[in-house]
Amino acid sequence: MSVLLLRLAGPLQAWGSTSRFTQRHTEIAPTKSGVIGLLAAARGQRRTDPLTELLGLGFGVRIDQPGQILRDFQVARSLDGRDSMPLTNRYYLSDAVFLAAIGGDSELLDGLHEAVRRPQFPLYLGRRSCPPVVPVTLGVRPGTVAEVLSDVPWQAAKRLRERGPSTVRLEVLLDAPPGAEVTETLQDEPVSFDPAHRQYGWRAVVRTRVLAPNPDGRPPVAAGVPGGIALADHDPLTWL
Amino acid sequence: MSRTILDVHILHTVPPSNINRDDSGSPKTATYGGVRRARVSSQSWKRAVRLAFRRTLDDSQLGERTKRIGEAIAARIADLDPELKDRASALAADVLKASGLVKKEAAAKKSKGEAAANSDVESGYLMFLSHRQQENLARAAIDAERTGEKLDTKQLQKLADTDHSIDIAMFGRMLADVPDLNVDAAVQVAHALSVHAVDNEFDYYTAVDDRKLDNQETGAGMIGTIEFNSATLYRYATIDVDRLHETLGDADATREAVTAFLKAFATSMPSGKQNTFANGTRPDAVMVRLRDTQSVNLVGAFEEPVRERQLGERSGMVAEAARKLADYTTEIEKTYGDPAVAAWITHVGSRTAALAPLGEVLPLPDLVSAVGTTVAGRLGTPA
Repeated sequence: MSVLLLRLAGPLQAWGSTSRFTQRHTEIAPTKSGVIGLLAAARGQRRTDPLTELLGLGFGVRIDQPGQILRDFQVARSLDGRDSMPLTNRYYLSDAVFLAAIGGDSELLDGLHEAVRRPQFPLYLGRRSCPPVVPVTLGVRPGTVAEVLSDVPWQAAKRLRERGPSTVRLEVLLDAPPGAEVTETLQDEPVSFDPAHRQYGWRAVVRTRVLAPNPDGRPPVAAGVPGGIALADHDPLTWL
Repeated sequence: MSRTILDVHILHTVPPSNINRDDSGSPKTATYGGVRRARVSSQSWKRAVRLAFRRTLDDSQLGERTKRIGEAIAARIADLDPELKDRASALAADVLKASGLVKKEAAAKKSKGEAAANSDVESGYLMFLSHRQQENLARAAIDAERTGEKLDTKQLQKLADTDHSIDIAMFGRMLADVPDLNVDAAVQVAHALSVHAVDNEFDYYTAVDDRKLDNQETGAGMIGTIEFNSATLYRYATIDVDRLHETLGDADATREAVTAFLKAFATSMPSGKQNTFANGTRPDAVMVRLRDTQSVNLVGAFEEPVRERQLGERSGMVAEAARKLADYTTEIEKTYGDPAVAAWITHVGSRTAALAPLGEVLPLPDLVSAVGTTVAGRLGTPA
């Protein structure tokens, strides 16, 4: 089992899973369908091409920098300005950084890594107006999705890393293993991107946290040391 | 297969202005690098480009995005065959219904508030057809009327899928009812972001009642506020030349599309509140980089916001932005080992001189034609 790592960062991104009509939503983390779509685009697959090889891939995403929700209000008019269309609200995530991990056969992942480095179609983060900041691919590593996501250093902006502790606790969303107890479901399992009959299946997701290294961070200072700042991860829920 | 991707990077300063606003009238913004930036949406700037196309390109190379598709085709029918003028609307309706481009219910709906004589078909959404496609559909309607042959859906859909215009090939189109006829966009435009932090400001104004002046009355006729900001924007777009070529099917047309886009993208601006602020400026610098691996958005150069004072010295936003952009470009291309295949720069004055070593420095018209020549060469046709 190997894992392809993608760093998804840019001023704006949008990962929709339930949008209809004039409200175009975004999830708070990249969707599986969005990322598989990005990989398919990198390989030069058309929307109508079958996704065969990409269907069985494992998926996990780590929220390295959650960003902020941005609402973009939009009007559309015909070029002569006479006709106007329904007003729409498009939601984006601004200033966010994610680490997406795709698990699968190493040969296939090597190919995907190369494809993302030299993509056939321009890549974007969920919506065409959201080009990524390079590099997108961080390469293929051995291990499972969950393991790799807790090994890779924190990918947030430098100013945050330098201020943070040497280990950070980050939220991850993983494909639920069989028999997992607490799961939520997202309708973002891609089946077909064919515009004539786009199809997404339901996917069981576990939401958990991992400890990730932050080599740029300050060494931990024990709480209670005079003059020291308690840098240990503050999680009030542990008191419950 | 060798790829041809054109990345366009622009530094563009706008004085106090409000060129793209949200539903409360505030200039649009976004957070990046932890601070609030001025933002101009990609859709807004694409519309400015499409309007600029109308000044530079021939009508036959462009398309029209309208709900009043019936009216458009009826006008072409009447033009092509004045004898059918009276029945043009009905013929247009027939051809649109037969093509499947317009759903039956939508077709039956008549324009609001107009006399029954006006039975032009409207589509349920803005339908993007090239002028040549409209004309081809009009011709098909006339032919069918003359020969009495039945309109064939497949044939009509083919007419709506060939002879794409430059704007359709660039920005794509989505026909909700006939997804087979969708066109994937060859151009990606990012939201423009200021390279520095901004706060929106309020202009409080009063307006005087001209008549009250005579009566020595005091007080304003009305008061209000307008929000604005000023910004040095980083603007980015990328053209997938191969995709454009595939949709247009012709190297000459592709070259023309590329040059038209570069000109329009560099010199156009959304027109919001232009009369209030007279904010029409030209870019400080335009950098075009031809790449054969992947498009590279250089907004990362500005993740740390530019400050007007660096190390206590006043250097100005533009000079600092140009320096950062130049450094970041060099660093990114060195780190990933895939330098641009060719690069061209248009820049104004010494403030943006930091970008000059990154490519061939040319005035904009020369840059546009140099890019066009290179693109045509790469597509296999001599310029």
